[in-house]
Amino acid sequence: MRASLFITCYNDTLFPETGRAVVALLERLGVDLEFRSQQTCCGQMHANTGFRSEAFSQAKRFVRLYQDAEAVVVPSSSCVAMVREQYPGLFEELGNEALRREFAALLPRVYELSEFLIDRLGIEDVGAWFPHRVTYHASCHGLRGLHLGDRPLRLLRAVRGLELTPLPNLDRCCGFGGTFSVKNGDVSSAMLATKLEDVLGTQTEFCTALDNSCLMHMGGALHRRQAGIRTIHMAQILASTEASPAEIPA
Amino acid sequence: MSTSGYHPDLDPASAPPFPKAALPVLNNMQLRKNVAHAVDVIQAKRGRLVAEKTDWQQLRAAGAAIRDHALENLSFYLQQFEERCTAAGGVVHWAADAAEARRIILDLLRQEQADEVIKIKTMTSAEIQLNPYLESAGVKVFETDLAEIILQLGNDEPSHIVVPALHVNRGQVREIFARSMNRPDLSDDPQALTAAARSYLRQKFLTVPTAISGANFLIAETGGVAIVESEGNGRMCLTLPRALITVAGIEKVLPRFQDLEVMLQVLARSATGERMNPYTSLWTGVTPGDGPQRFHVVLLDNGRSSILKRETERQTLRCIRCAACMNSCPVYRQTGGHAYGSVYPGPIGAILTPQLTELHHAQSLPYASSLCGACYEVCPVKINIPEILIDLRAQVTDQERRQTRRWFDPMYLGMRVASFVFASAGRFHAAQRLGRIGMRLFTGKDGWIHSLPGMGAKWTQSRDLRGLPQQTFHEWWAARDKAAGKEAQ
Amino acid sequence: MNHSSTSRQRVLDRIRAAAPGSAARERDYAALERPYTRTGSLTAETRIALMTERLREYDAGVTECASGELPAAVAAALAASGRKTFVAPAGLPSAWLAPGFEWKIDRDLSADQIEGVEGVVTACFCGIADSGTIVLHHSAAEGRRLVSLLPDWHLCILRATQIVETLPEYFARCPQPPGLVTWISGPSATADIEMTRIKGVHGPRFLQVIVVRD
Repeated sequence: MRASLFITCYNDTLFPETGRAVVALLERLGVDLEFRSQQTCCGQMHANTGFRSEAFSQAKRFVRLYQDAEAVVVPSSSCVAMVREQYPGLFEELGNEALRREFAALLPRVYELSEFLIDRLGIEDVGAWFPHRVTYHASCHGLRGLHLGDRPLRLLRAVRGLELTPLPNLDRCCGFGGTFSVKNGDVSSAMLATKLEDVLGTQTEFCTALDNSCLMHMGGALHRRQAGIRTIHMAQILASTEASPAEIPA
Repeated sequence: MSTSGYHPDLDPASAPPFPKAALPVLNNMQLRKNVAHAVDVIQAKRGRLVAEKTDWQQLRAAGAAIRDHALENLSFYLQQFEERCTAAGGVVHWAADAAEARRIILDLLRQEQADEVIKIKTMTSAEIQLNPYLESAGVKVFETDLAEIILQLGNDEPSHIVVPALHVNRGQVREIFARSMNRPDLSDDPQALTAAARSYLRQKFLTVPTAISGANFLIAETGGVAIVESEGNGRMCLTLPRALITVAGIEKVLPRFQDLEVMLQVLARSATGERMNPYTSLWTGVTPGDGPQRFHVVLLDNGRSSILKRETERQTLRCIRCAACMNSCPVYRQTGGHAYGSVYPGPIGAILTPQLTELHHAQSLPYASSLCGACYEVCPVKINIPEILIDLRAQVTDQERRQTRRWFDPMYLGMRVASFVFASAGRFHAAQRLGRIGMRLFTGKDGWIHSLPGMGAKWTQSRDLRGLPQQTFHEWWAARDKAAGKEAQ
Repeated sequence: MNHSSTSRQRVLDRIRAAAPGSAARERDYAALERPYTRTGSLTAETRIALMTERLREYDAGVTECASGELPAAVAAALAASGRKTFVAPAGLPSAWLAPGFEWKIDRDLSADQIEGVEGVVTACFCGIADSGTIVLHHSAAEGRRLVSLLPDWHLCILRATQIVETLPEYFARCPQPPGLVTWISGPSATADIEMTRIKGVHGPRFLQVIVVRD
C-alpha cells in the first residue's frame, strides 16, 4: 500500500514530531509512505478568513500535486474538512472543467489519519503502548465536518496501558477557529477558559486530538497556567511502543 | 442604564463591531452566568426531545425543501396569500423598508384612533424599531410577553429571539417589577413574578382595543396567519382587540396549510425543547363575531429580497426563528445576544444582519464565529450557516480589496503575504527559516513564547505558544532520505 | 396610486428579479419529498394511553368515561373543580350542561361577561397523542376563541375516535383547511425567568380532559 503524506503547513512548521510519528506509525503498519516536498498549505486559513481567490490558488496547487497519488494521508481533520467541504465550491466558482474532474477523481483518496487507519487499512489496534491517563478532545471539524464518530476512540481503546477518561461537553468548540482566535481574541479566550475547566476536570496527564490546531490553542493555555496536563497529537500516541516510546517535548 | 449594566445598541448602523461590543459582556460575570444557564437548560431539553424523534433528519430535510420551494416561488405565494387574505376580509400592505412599515402601522393606528396598543413579541417589529417610533408619535405601547415586559420596564434590549430576557435573573426581574409596578413586597420567586405580570396585564388585554403582532407563518393557500407561543398573551392579543395589525417578513410564507405538519413538529422541539408549544393560533382574515373585526397585514421586505439573489445566501431566509443555533453556539454562550448589535443575535444574526443591511453595516458579524458547525447541526431547516459565514467573509474581504485602508490592516497584509508564500515551496521554506530566526527574539528560556506584539498579542493574552522547533518536518524528511540514500549506496 | 401599491410593485419586482420562480411550480410542490413518519403504528388502546400520558405530563387532568356516561362525567368534573359558574359555547350539546351549576351560554357574550366566569366546557376537533395536543377549530360546540381563553379552567371533551397518533394524521383529517385553529398543548406556561417553567400566565391555568370511549 502506497500513500502520500500531506503534513500541512502548520504541522510542518510547528509540530514536526507529529509528522515523524505518522511516518513511524504508518511504516510500522507496512505502508510505503512518500512525502512530496512541493507541498505548502491547503488554503483553509485564507478561505475561512474570506480570501477566496488566494484559497483557490492553494487548492489548485493541492490537487495538481496529488492527482496521481494512490492515497493522501492528512494528520489534521480541519485540513481534510477544507478539502471536502470547501474545495467543491471553490472549483465550482473559480475553476475550470478539467480541474473539477481532477479534483473529483482525487477526493475519495484523501484521508484523515484515523479514517486511513480504520477505513482504508482496516486496523483498529495499531500495536501501540502508551501507559498514561488520557482524555480525547473531538475537534469540531473531525466531529461535525468529517463525522469521524467513534473512530478515534476505537483507536485509543486499543492502545495498551492507556487509561481513557471521557471529556465532558465533547461537542463544544475550544474557541480556536483559526484567525478567529486573533480577530475575536477576547471571546476566543473566554471559550478556551470554559473548555479548560472540562479538560482539567478529567485529571488526566494528556489531552489528545486529531488536530494540532485545537491542541496548540489548549496547550498554550495549559502551559500558561502551568496546569500539568499536556497536549499530544493522537499520531504520537499511536506511534508509541515499548521499544520506541512517544517523544514528549517539554 | 439597563439591567445589563451597559446600554446595548442593537441598531446595526451604529453598533460597535462585535469584538468591541463583546467586551462589556465578557466582563459581566453575572450576565454570562445567566446566559450560559439558560442555553444549557434549553439545549439539554432539545437534545432529549430530538433524540426521541426517529424521523428527525427526514423532518429537517422536508422542512428545508418546503422552505426552499416557497422562496423559489416567493412572488407567486405572496400574491396568493394577499388574494386569499383579502378575500377573507384582511387588508394587505407592502413595505419596502423599515421606515415605510413604521409609517403604515402608525397610519393604521391613527385610523383606529388608538393612543394605546398591546403587542405580542415580534422580532420583526424590533427590527424596524417600531416601539420608539410609536412612542414618539404619542402611542403608548404595552408589550405582553413576559420577557418583553421585563425588557420594556427594565429599559433593556432583547438578547435572544425566543427568550429575549434570558440574560436577566430573578433578582433583577424582582427589582424591575417592584419598582415599575409599585410592588415593593414582591418576592423573587418566578411564580410570584409571573403572577405579578398576569395581573399587571389583565386589564390591558380587556381594555386596549388595538393589537400588533408578528407572524410565524403566512399560509398562501388560505391567506391564514399562524402564531406560535407559550403564555397565552398571543391568544389574548389575537382575540380581544377590535383591530389587529400583523407585521411579517416576506419570507414567512408557506405554500399550504398542510406544510405546518413539518414546521410545527420541528419548531417547538428546536426552540424550547417541547413536543409542542402550549398555544398555536391560526386565523384567516376576519371571522364575524370572533376576534378582531379589522385585520391588517404589513408585508416587510427591508433587505430580504436582496438575500434571495445568491443560492448559498438564500438559505438564510429558510429560517423559522427557533433560536436553536444560538442555544448551541459556543460564542453566543459567552457573549449573549447584545454583542451582535442587532435584534437578531447568534449564528443566524451573524448571517442575517449583515445581509439585511446589504453589507453596508455589521461587517464584523460574519467573523463572530469559530466555524464550529454546531449551528448547522441543530438547524431544523438545515441552513448551512458556516458556509454562509465564509461566503460573507469573502464578500467583506472583497469590499476591503477596494479600500485604501487595507494597506494598514495587519490581517489583510498578513493574508496577502501568506498567499504569496504558500504559492511556492521555496518561498514557504524560506519563510519558515526566517520565522525561526525572528521568533527567537520572543522565545523564553523554557522554549515557549509568552508575549507577542501586534496581532499576536491577541493570542498571548491567554495562551503561550511553543517556540519554533529547530527542524521542520520536511527538513527532517529530507535529512532522513539523504541518510537512507547513503546507506543504500 | 398610493405609496403602498407602488411599494407592492417594487417589492414584487425585486423578488422576481432575484427569484423568478419555477414554471413547474405545482409539479415541484407535489414532488417535494416527505419521508417523515406520517401514520402512527399504535393500537387504539395505546393511542389513548399515550394521549393521556402526554396530557398528564403537561399537568392536565384526564378522566375517561363511556359514551352514555358523559353527562355524569361532566357533572363530576365540574363538581371536582370546586367551581360554580361556567360558560358554554352556543352549540354545546345540552346534555352536557349539568344541572346545579350556573351556566352562561355564549350568544355573543362580551369579554367582560366571560371574564367573570370560572370555567368553560367545550368540545374539540381532534387530539394528537404524540404531542398531547388538543385542537379546536372553533365550531359551534368548540366555541368562539374568547370562550376557551378567558376562564381560568377549561374542560374539554375529547372522543376517543378523535384521537390521532401523529401530527400529519391530524392534517390528513383536514381536507378543507380550516380558517380558525387553536392548538393547545397543556396549560399556558412560561420559562422566561431563569428557564423555570411556570404554569398559567394568561391563558387558562387548568386544563381538564374527558376522554369519551365511543
